[in-house]
Amino acid sequence: MKIERSSEWGEGFINRLTHLEKWQSWTLYKMNYDIVKMKLIPEFTGLQATKYLPNLKPLAHQLEAAETVIERMNGKAILADEVGLGKTIEAGLILKEYLIRGLVKRALILAPASLINQWIEELNLKFHIPAIAYKKNCPIERYDVLIMSMDTAKKSPHRERIYEQDYDMIIIDEAHKLKNNKTQIYEFVQGLKKKFCLLLTATPIQNDVFELYYLISLLKPGHLGNYDTFQSAFSASKHHLEHDDYLKELVNQVMVRNRREDTGIEWTNRCVQIVPITFTQAEREVYDMLGALENTGSFSLITLQKEMCSSKEATALTLTNMLEDHVQSQEIEALLTKLMALDVNSKAIKTLEIVKEAQDKVIIFTEYRATQIYLQWYLHSNGITSVLFNGKFNKNKRDYMKHLFKEKAQVLIATEAGGEGINLQFCHHVINYDLPWNPMKLEQRIGRVHRLGQEHDVHIYNLAIENTIEEKILELLHTKIDVFEKVVGDLDAILTNFKESV
Amino acid sequence: MYPQQVHHYLKEFFIENDCAILGEENHYLTVQLTIDIDKRIMNRPFYWQYVEATNSEPNPAQVTFITNQTAIASNVFGEVIHYGSPRLNQLFLATRELGAYVQLFEKVDSDMGQVILTPWLGVNFKVSYCCDRTKETLYSLGINLLTGVIKEDFHETICSSEFDTEPADNVFHVQYIIKPIRALERLNDTVDTIIERDDHSWATEAQKRWQRDQRVLDYFYEEVEDKPECYEIEKKALAEQYESKIKIEIMNGGLFYLF
Repeated sequence: MKIERSSEWGEGFINRLTHLEKWQSWTLYKMNYDIVKMKLIPEFTGLQATKYLPNLKPLAHQLEAAETVIERMNGKAILADEVGLGKTIEAGLILKEYLIRGLVKRALILAPASLINQWIEELNLKFHIPAIAYKKNCPIERYDVLIMSMDTAKKSPHRERIYEQDYDMIIIDEAHKLKNNKTQIYEFVQGLKKKFCLLLTATPIQNDVFELYYLISLLKPGHLGNYDTFQSAFSASKHHLEHDDYLKELVNQVMVRNRREDTGIEWTNRCVQIVPITFTQAEREVYDMLGALENTGSFSLITLQKEMCSSKEATALTLTNMLEDHVQSQEIEALLTKLMALDVNSKAIKTLEIVKEAQDKVIIFTEYRATQIYLQWYLHSNGITSVLFNGKFNKNKRDYMKHLFKEKAQVLIATEAGGEGINLQFCHHVINYDLPWNPMKLEQRIGRVHRLGQEHDVHIYNLAIENTIEEKILELLHTKIDVFEKVVGDLDAILTNFKESV
Repeated sequence: MYPQQVHHYLKEFFIENDCAILGEENHYLTVQLTIDIDKRIMNRPFYWQYVEATNSEPNPAQVTFITNQTAIASNVFGEVIHYGSPRLNQLFLATRELGAYVQLFEKVDSDMGQVILTPWLGVNFKVSYCCDRTKETLYSLGINLLTGVIKEDFHETICSSEFDTEPADNVFHVQYIIKPIRALERLNDTVDTIIERDDHSWATEAQKRWQRDQRVLDYFYEEVEDKPECYEIEKKALAEQYESKIKIEIMNGGLFYLF
């Protein structure tokens, strides 16, 4: 076995024997011994990190997750707790433990740009880990714990600079962004040396089981076999999983997933309801006309129909863009006129109703900027104050908007991008004005309010217009949730039991 | 380390290093640092570079350390310090540098007449077993420099004794027969023997984990003729993760003339 012996002390000792340097104090000698003894790591197992973090009060499931990753998964794992259970805390504990044990000297953390400041803050303040954000031309070889955005990391020249470094640990937040093995970021991460590696995501499967396959193959290539064997064993059809239990077991060897109800914390309830809405005659006519459009060029009918379910403003924007592309201008101009003549938005009316009834803070999620602005105007003309929020806001603006929402406005209207990384426990009504294709996006949205610190039951309203594309979306969301539950485990109520309600 | 222990430690450290304690309550401590200690714990190399380059008046810092934040009155301003905080780690490091080598003569009552002291070399070793996990053990060994007898738990046997840095008038200290450097080699050998006799199933287990992961990796690239670069990267990562090694480090030690 390799034995490393440091000769440093011996050299100093010789200097003292030959009177080149002075002998030192007995008191400090004893203090030194006591510190060494106190800091000794007496066992291979167990967490040392907690001793060094007297101000951090990790929850039982977070400590357990950290221990499981280190002791059973040997430091390579997917942390897949449900949104709001503190994956960052778990990752911080694991990193801290390895730093204390001297197994990690240098670590790289990749996160979405919007979450970088949050990571810096948490690691520095909660964990006393001197993490630094990447900047162009910064001397990264001198930084032990570096945080950068995935988008920067994957590009030249940053990519090459990172490859030159030698990191012992890689942590990737919002790792579901690595679900596709054909992307630049996937290839980038594949090329990184992963001695210890944590992938953080609440949503390891968003659409199909291959996403999980790619994620795990990044972490531990071969754990789920190679692509061919995996495909033949597990995907007769993407949505029907044959060897569920076997796969689940394999997945559980590399993945920790805590669910709210496993945490032993008293969680407030989730009351999810689907709110069916009927189009007015005029809206229906426009919707059907949109469906009958032919040759829409690069614009898909589905997009248009989805937009029509949201607002005429969103639809009009796309139609106008189509006009610029000179597709079937006459037909579209006619449609636009008809569209602009609409004076009622059934969904907005319903939304207003819910907001008034709630008599409380409400978050509305929409997929479209145009709808966002329309809704603000509409609510305003009905005497309801609101603030807008989207993911492009910088940290200051986010904090300010959050503050405004908390102190001044009743409603926060967020676009999709607003879903990640803001915590709004003081609010407990969520309206999903538009439904995303991806169930995990819904979970991310709900996770903004239904997280540690929420004291009330959380009310979720999923709005869907009858006999439109939105019903199909609901159905599809359900199939996807089914796949997720078969492989990963149960999901909290996101949709309510649609099957029962249909 | 509880807040009181931290407090006690700080006070002892600063007094021992000639930093004046300017104010103290149960939960905080205000000290005037010396130039040396400021350089060691305050993290401001540029300031000191500037002072030295311009020959200006050095102005070592005056700091208030708050050792128990929860108990403190809100009108005290200072730096909160607790076990695990970066500043305390720096103090630990300074302690390590300043408490690494001693030469001491055991105190004896002056009415005991002429006394003979025997020379010992005492050394404290930290041995770390590392693979993807770690475990550390502290061995304190002492060797009699006249007879070559080796004692374990040496520090524990001497830590409550009192010492002088110079031999008192009534003591006669025997010169060593075994040279300290030679004695140090013997202690190193002793540590090696202790390690050899220890249970190393941890390394065997790590080896097994390594092989298991290597098999999984090989399976993934089984049918690939020319293994891509990432295969080699993964392989290297596994080696770094699981390879077992032992680190031996001397924490401190010195010459002890014992009664």
